[in-house]
Amino acid sequence: MGGERLKIILSLTPPLLIIFTLFFGGIFYGFLQSLGYQPAIGKYEINFSAYYNVMFSERYAKLFWTGLGLNLWVSFASTFLAAVFALFGALAIRKTFFAKTICNFIYSLNLPMPHLVVAVGIIFVFSQSGLLARLASQIGLIGSPGDFPVLVKDKYGLGIILAYIWKEAAFFFIILMSVLQSLGENFEELAQSLGANRWQRFRYVILPLVMPNLFSASIIVFAFSFGAYEVPALLGVIYPQMLPVMAFEFFLNPDLNARSEGMALSIIIAIIVMILVVFYFWLTQAKIRKD
Amino acid sequence: MSKLNIKNLIKSFPSMDRPAVNNVNLDIESGELVAFLGPSGCGKTTILKMITGLFQPDSGDIILDEQSLLKIPTEKRGVVMVFQNYLLFPYMNVNENVGFALKMKGVDKNIIDQKVKEMLELVKLPDIGLRKPKQLSGGQQQRVALARALISNPRILLLDEPLSNLDAHLRDEMRDLIVTIQQKLKVTTIFVTHDQEEAVLLADKIALIFDGELQNFTSPKNYYEKPKNIKAAKFFGGVNFINAKKHNDKLSTNIGTVHYKGENYTDLNEDNIITIRPENIKLSKNNDFNDNSFKGLIKSVIFSGTHTRYKIIVKDLELECSLQSVGLQDIKTDDTIYVHLPSDKIWAMNE
Repeated sequence: MGGERLKIILSLTPPLLIIFTLFFGGIFYGFLQSLGYQPAIGKYEINFSAYYNVMFSERYAKLFWTGLGLNLWVSFASTFLAAVFALFGALAIRKTFFAKTICNFIYSLNLPMPHLVVAVGIIFVFSQSGLLARLASQIGLIGSPGDFPVLVKDKYGLGIILAYIWKEAAFFFIILMSVLQSLGENFEELAQSLGANRWQRFRYVILPLVMPNLFSASIIVFAFSFGAYEVPALLGVIYPQMLPVMAFEFFLNPDLNARSEGMALSIIIAIIVMILVVFYFWLTQAKIRKD
Repeated sequence: MSKLNIKNLIKSFPSMDRPAVNNVNLDIESGELVAFLGPSGCGKTTILKMITGLFQPDSGDIILDEQSLLKIPTEKRGVVMVFQNYLLFPYMNVNENVGFALKMKGVDKNIIDQKVKEMLELVKLPDIGLRKPKQLSGGQQQRVALARALISNPRILLLDEPLSNLDAHLRDEMRDLIVTIQQKLKVTTIFVTHDQEEAVLLADKIALIFDGELQNFTSPKNYYEKPKNIKAAKFFGGVNFINAKKHNDKLSTNIGTVHYKGENYTDLNEDNIITIRPENIKLSKNNDFNDNSFKGLIKSVIFSGTHTRYKIIVKDLELECSLQSVGLQDIKTDDTIYVHLPSDKIWAMNE
């Protein structure tokens, strides 16, 4: 028995060592830096001044709070819209074999595409010098491409939201298609025979059945879009700036003292996402207990 | 109470090389409890789904109380189906599940609560309203599904294999409950089953379906005593079949001339098959019978508790006989025996 246990511990040690060293080690060192501990530049003192600076100092407070607002808006809007598009898309085509095959193929192609490529695609299509602007100008909908609404590099993060919808709708779609296929049509048929019309079947049957999976996928997508850097960096504006871009700029600052602020900002982003994940687990556990 | 007429119903699927339902005609009277009986894939559930409107027939008509259902959407037909696997909504409690149909109709919440209570009492589950489906046993789930279907006073109640997921004890209980409720509410009910015993115990009439075609639609008793064809007879446990030619007032067979009293004698063609149930054959070591008595040899004797089964060779034909074990004569394998086929128990069918 003891030998068996030792064998398990020994076989688990190498992967655990890697996880602890790279993940928790990195987080711990980052956390130390956010507290001002930077031996490389002779800073050994530990305090929360970087956190204070980022959130409340005259220099950064406005930038931080507007950035946080933009972060929340972009993450919520893109997650919600991607989920809605994917849900209606999946419902529309799930019964048509041909459309289902084509859409599955297109969405599967979209999944491995890097976010950076999607961001560049958004610029090509939706910017004022992009495909849609030129097309609208050619067919006379607008006077010149410059009259096209600002959808990329705008202060509301519309371009960023578009990029995330483009990318994450595929993720939602694949999850929803598999859920809908495993559910089959029996529940809807039953509801129909009990007198439910199309809207009632969606509201009282489909939505509650897919909601747990949709909610789990939403948490993943929200956490990703909240902390991702490359799309806001390419499609965002200088002000307001999303928090990951702001954090990265602290790192790029030639003044190494700013690194503590960058780390503090990264830790704040991580904490917000973790709070969200904990809240999600609390909700699901509460539901399990209730059931 | 509603009367249902099915006229020349045909339905095909691209994946099948024959029609799933082929020219089915049925007249179901108000308040009747009818079984659609047949092996898996014979088209019984397809007919059920056409009655609900979930499938559209290729041709034919479904008429409920003199009105064609074909142009009426499923949700407005008043035809409610209970699915084989109950399909209680997992995110709703029992009360919400049972009240679903009334909620969809926009009925006042107080009235829904009252009706839900009545329905749960009807299915003898008055105290489980706040439970979730996964907290219920299979039998309870089935009852809740039944209550949910009945709450809106359906014109027709359809039950898809209502007992197939239950164990033996619960099947008996549920069977009794379905009959009691059906008789109390007088709702015209159709249920699908592949189990002939279940059909016989529950139904007023049985529609026997093979390969999408209706073989016969009659009372359970008739299937045992007067089957329409050899397929129907075999499905209901018939094992004795003898080729017979109509000859004057009698039937001429390989084992001898058979006297026949069936009322269908005039409808018979020249070539026929006669059948008799194993329990209606009589045996005697001496030739005690006046007519339809044939000499045979006991091939095997199998004791099965209340009954004993005999296989008897009469000329080149094998017949099977089942007698009550109590008070039996001592009959052994290889004994010579006289087999009596009572003329009022024989049934002849066109070949």
